[in-house]
Amino acid sequence: METKRKGICARNWDCLLAYGLILPSLIVFGIFMFYPLFYTIYLSFFDWNMIKPIKTFVGWKNYIALFQDPLTYTVLKNTLAYLGILLVLNCVAPYVLAFILSFVIKRGQSFYKSAFFLPSVISLVVGSILYLWILNPISGPAAIIAKLLGIPLPVWSKTPGLVIVILSLITTWKVFGYNFIVIFGGVAGVPREVIEAARIDNVPLYRIFFDIVLPMSGATGIYIFIMTIVQGLQYVFTPIKVITQGGPDNASSNLIYHVYQEGFNLYHTGYASAFAIVTMALFIVLLIFEFKYVEKGIYYEK
Amino acid sequence: MKNKQEYQWHILLCLALFFSLLPIVFAISNSFKDLSEAYNNIFNLIPQYPTLNNYIQVFSQLPFVSIVTNTFLIAATVTIFKIITGIMAAYSFVYFDFKGKNVLYFILISTIFIPFTVTMIPNYLTVSQLGFRNHILGVILPQLSDATGIFLIRQAMRTIPYSLIEAARLEGAKHLKILWDIVLPLVKPAVVSTGIMFFINSWNEYVWPVLVLKDKVNYTLPLALQLFISSEGGTDFTVAMAVSVVTMIIPLVLYLIFQRYIIQTFTSSGVKG
Repeated sequence: METKRKGICARNWDCLLAYGLILPSLIVFGIFMFYPLFYTIYLSFFDWNMIKPIKTFVGWKNYIALFQDPLTYTVLKNTLAYLGILLVLNCVAPYVLAFILSFVIKRGQSFYKSAFFLPSVISLVVGSILYLWILNPISGPAAIIAKLLGIPLPVWSKTPGLVIVILSLITTWKVFGYNFIVIFGGVAGVPREVIEAARIDNVPLYRIFFDIVLPMSGATGIYIFIMTIVQGLQYVFTPIKVITQGGPDNASSNLIYHVYQEGFNLYHTGYASAFAIVTMALFIVLLIFEFKYVEKGIYYEK
Repeated sequence: MKNKQEYQWHILLCLALFFSLLPIVFAISNSFKDLSEAYNNIFNLIPQYPTLNNYIQVFSQLPFVSIVTNTFLIAATVTIFKIITGIMAAYSFVYFDFKGKNVLYFILISTIFIPFTVTMIPNYLTVSQLGFRNHILGVILPQLSDATGIFLIRQAMRTIPYSLIEAARLEGAKHLKILWDIVLPLVKPAVVSTGIMFFINSWNEYVWPVLVLKDKVNYTLPLALQLFISSEGGTDFTVAMAVSVVTMIIPLVLYLIFQRYIIQTFTSSGVKG
């Protein structure tokens, strides 16, 4: 098929058309994606506050300051905590759910798919305000139930550690459905006969999951794994900004929110730029690591 | 024995669903209660004394008509442009061979991995220089094209048998005609569901508008909603629920109408091979 397609662009006019069709997208991406990327790299070597007419060149100073600031490590630690929770809830859990829905349960598939997807069309600001009220430690429904059971609810938005768990849960409420649907597509692609054969042989469900389903739907799994890391951290931004503003004492800030705060609250433009670039570098390292080890493990292990 | 096991799974799944859908039911029910009933009768899902007061309050507390108009205008414009630029680019990537095609595609798609913190400062400066800070155009401009859209529409176009296109080409059909008469009708489900998702995402968007829009008159719904949040849940709690309901009603209705398309498109969007 590929050879047949060659020659389509034989005439110059066709070539022109081919590039012309991509041009609008390229212009938008050029101005609002690639130029900003390079400009942020440029800004990261300057001391600036977005308003002053003069930017002072400071070399690597922003990067050095970044690695010397203890706050950086707090934020990094928080980010890892967010990632851990988000990956379990939005990567592992939907995988298990997709498996159960495809191969264990016989009825209600399409109902569950529609229903689980539903919250993912609702604004995270709505989600944040709803859960803020439901989990309000004094007057919310959760507090009332907890009181009946004799357990006092902690003021979670002021409790380090717990605040990350709750904000991750709120984010999960939105992200879960989408991830679940995409993973379902991958899991449902595993041939049914293989699973049926294994079940007739009384292979336990967890073995079917780990030995058959997981390896055979690996590509989709990796895609969701990466997307959970890259987009999950950015989704968490909304509940952080709306509910805690990074508090208490930066205990709920993550890499994304911290850059926002440095850039738009404190006007440390150069420092924020350096931090953004380091964040992106971490994402890239993560992706390379991911591709190198996880993917290899899935495809070539057996 | 197998039936019993299935039964247990159903209970577990329904429990999970209960917790994920409960907040939505709560919001709708409390938006029709007055404040004292909402506090005293939290678990009453059907209000004892239903009232529209909260919805009326919304109009007196906020420039509500312009907020809804802004939200709609931004979402509609962004969606239309993302779909048009997406169809154009996808058509080119699928049906033309040209120098640098794969590299170009890779570069466009890899932008999905650029965190927004990397682009937000320069984009804020660009939008300010153009004079669109505090204007809905400032929200719209950076979003006229979208890598996910190109990806999803390209995936759909690739499933069309190439012989169909070739036959039309042999009969001398122009590209525009092929796109309009053959390709578009076949990728319609994917285009519609991608468009609906763009609209919903833009409707719900928070991060970029909160940087660009400063005055309440220019706000979108999620920004307006944020005004009702304080760490204690806010005193105008029932009004906040009314704004929440207005914010989520459009996405919910769109989803309920197009859910088949949407579920199908995203189920098959996973990377294969």
